[in-house]
Amino acid sequence: MGSRIDEELRMLEEMALDFAERELKDRREECDHYPYAPLEENVLEKACDVGFFCMTVPEELEGGAMGVEALSLVLKDISRTDASLAGVIFTTALAQELVLAAGAGSVLAGAPGNGSWRESLIAFPSFDDAAENLGLSAERAGGAGYTLTGKVEYVVLGGLASRALLPAAVPGVDGYSFFLLDLDAEGVRKSEPVLSLGLHSCPAVDLELDGARAALVGEEGLGASYFTDCADRLSIPAAAISTGIMKGCLDEALEYSRQRFQGGREIVNWSELRRILADMATVQATADALVACACVRAEADEPGWRLLARATALQVQAAACDVTTDGIQVLGGNGYMEDYGQEKRFRDAKQVQALLGLVPMRKLEYITRVIEGEPT
Amino acid sequence: MVPRGANLAVLEREPTPKDIMCGLDASGGMPRAIRKETLEVLALARRFNELVVRPGALELDRRKHEEPDYLPWDFVHEANSWGLYTMFIPKLFGGQGYNLPALSYMVEELGSACTGMANLVGVHYLGVATLCSSWNMRLMNKVMRDTVEGEKTGEPCLISLAITEPGAGTDVEEVELVSKATVTCQAKKVPGGYVVNGRKIFISNGHLSTWHMLIAYEDLASPETSTVMLAVRNGMEGFSFGRQERKMGQKGCPASELIFEDCFVPDENVCFSASEAGSMKGSAERVTMQVIDSVVSTSRAGVAGFGTGVARGAYEEALRFASETEVGGKLLINHEWAQCILAEMYKNVAVSRLTYVETNNANGMYGMFKIMQWKPVYYYLKFVPRAVIDRVVQPLLDLPAMTWLFRKVMFEWQKDSDWQCTSGWGSLAKFTATDAGVRNCQLALELMGRAGLRHDRGAEKHLRDSKLLQIYEGTNQLNRLNVFKCFIGRQVPEAQVFED
Repeated sequence: MGSRIDEELRMLEEMALDFAERELKDRREECDHYPYAPLEENVLEKACDVGFFCMTVPEELEGGAMGVEALSLVLKDISRTDASLAGVIFTTALAQELVLAAGAGSVLAGAPGNGSWRESLIAFPSFDDAAENLGLSAERAGGAGYTLTGKVEYVVLGGLASRALLPAAVPGVDGYSFFLLDLDAEGVRKSEPVLSLGLHSCPAVDLELDGARAALVGEEGLGASYFTDCADRLSIPAAAISTGIMKGCLDEALEYSRQRFQGGREIVNWSELRRILADMATVQATADALVACACVRAEADEPGWRLLARATALQVQAAACDVTTDGIQVLGGNGYMEDYGQEKRFRDAKQVQALLGLVPMRKLEYITRVIEGEPT
Repeated sequence: MVPRGANLAVLEREPTPKDIMCGLDASGGMPRAIRKETLEVLALARRFNELVVRPGALELDRRKHEEPDYLPWDFVHEANSWGLYTMFIPKLFGGQGYNLPALSYMVEELGSACTGMANLVGVHYLGVATLCSSWNMRLMNKVMRDTVEGEKTGEPCLISLAITEPGAGTDVEEVELVSKATVTCQAKKVPGGYVVNGRKIFISNGHLSTWHMLIAYEDLASPETSTVMLAVRNGMEGFSFGRQERKMGQKGCPASELIFEDCFVPDENVCFSASEAGSMKGSAERVTMQVIDSVVSTSRAGVAGFGTGVARGAYEEALRFASETEVGGKLLINHEWAQCILAEMYKNVAVSRLTYVETNNANGMYGMFKIMQWKPVYYYLKFVPRAVIDRVVQPLLDLPAMTWLFRKVMFEWQKDSDWQCTSGWGSLAKFTATDAGVRNCQLALELMGRAGLRHDRGAEKHLRDSKLLQIYEGTNQLNRLNVFKCFIGRQVPEAQVFED
């Protein structure tokens, strides 16, 4: 059984690396410019065809029925080349997980398998703890429907996907709730893509809603419990994106340092530079191991995996910011230029660190759960 | 009771008072008017920020995202009309004559709003500092008076430094490395001047400058003994601009490629050459090192000003965000942990500022600012009518004896401990402040979360801008090695620097 799973993961890894090499590598610079085009439609279409947009959706809903380990592997391998597509996959996976956690999987039925990337994607404010981005108010409309009014910032994929999953407050109900919104519906106004630090091909928009009809996902007021549950699980793939960025950064730094001469020799032979490379390599290796360990414990549903997942994300995302800072430094002035990949990785790593909400609040939440006795 | 002499003897030990008391040493000899002048500079910089930099910084950055080849001439004309390009040019050369240490305060102010725009002003003074480090009084007068004239006519005349080459960046900032560098920009001596061939890259403000202080080498096989500094003006035959680099940040300030193809530079435009260095006391290599060190000792204080500025800009954005954003049911600024992060950021700014202040004290005591801050010279230039300087003093600047005299004082009379102090402090300030700049930007983004990622909030731009500061004017690694060389290695006879 174990070896079969290993073989499946190995094949998945090969596919992800091959996809990144064929579809992303040559377009990386071009897709990173502003005003940016999102990833070309044919790339999204191919990503959809190979199942990247429904990896963790159950089989009965025409998804890939894969676990967090497989998702993490794919995100890592793609991010070695360009983390933007990983951001697209992550955001959609997070929204799908929330829908599933709310017991509303039926709304996903058909979308993953119908071959349309736009239908498969779900926009979501994935850089927030949903509780901190509550600009929307939901009113009960006739029948089972609701209308949403207000503003919500930085909805990732809002300009690409056909639907968005959004948090909103229902008057008179404690907590918040999730709603699925048709982004082409009446009363929906989208901004231009928000010029941002990184992940340019995974753009976000600000939404302004004026009585836009939407469907409740799960139960009223239970948004926070759905989000916490999913944020635990998705913290691991979020960390995996950072490990991929680190790996790509380290590879480029090593390659460059073997070619570049300063002071009459290859810079790789300067011991201070070796020390920096060693820092990068050891941090990257341990981050890799940490993510792998978190995956195994999550898949086995071992006690304590949830907090490990949270700690892994915090640790690995911060490490990626340091590694990519050094990654530019190794290349000197060239590392700062768009002609090389390092400056993009530096921006992407910092962008990815903001996934799932404010770093200090995530840390405080972590320690609160530890103090309250949750197993670690 | 220990004899007094014995007490004094311990002061010979490391760290020496000279290195750790620059401020104390400088305070007695410093003209009091410098403080008032510095306040004037600060006030002007803040007004310029309010009216020009802050309203235009994000727009310029966005425009450069969209049009990478755009050149910010509007900003340069505006800065020119405010007198920013002549403020720190000594009155001797027609400028406004503000004290040079105040430049660091100014670039901190501008950098707190936009490091790219701060560079559009500050990098001009890197060119000025390079020119001044040659102490070629005739050329200093000629080139800087062009800038003064450009202010009067409304046609900005900026000065750039062209030193980095495609195959040599860090190398050419350090004389002990340049001997092994792969340099390709050659200045071949011919009758009446030099013929230059080669390329320079990453030249800040290159496309916007009229004069370029070009560092080239007569003998590519031994650049350390054949360095030549030439003043190249736009329009000289064989000189042209290449591409603008596509940078991650500081987009407003172009990083240019300069191309020299059989470019003839006449002898009258030679700021400094190896043969001139060879005619002075000490080896040509040592004098060349003094020239380079004199540039970087001052310019690195400026970069530390940029670093302090961007650290402050990030801090101010974070403070604004914390003051207006509720998290967990109360304003972020009222969370104890947020207050501690903000205090940490404030500390980073304050410590960075102290390092550039101390570097400037060192430069005032032992380096490039020494003559201008000597009270008789300072007050003479401050209070003697400009017409007297222009009519009486200026003609003297063309005399070779003036160049000889200044070089005598600045190079031959400079002790090893002098340049070690200025160069060491320059490097220490540079990597302290620029590391703090990057750190504060990272902290700001962590504090601001999603809001920090947005271009329209300014914090992400500060982060992109800040990273370059750790690279130019010598990478921070090179600067750490220089601190080792200047302050640490000299204590250990066995220590060898750059011999790894």
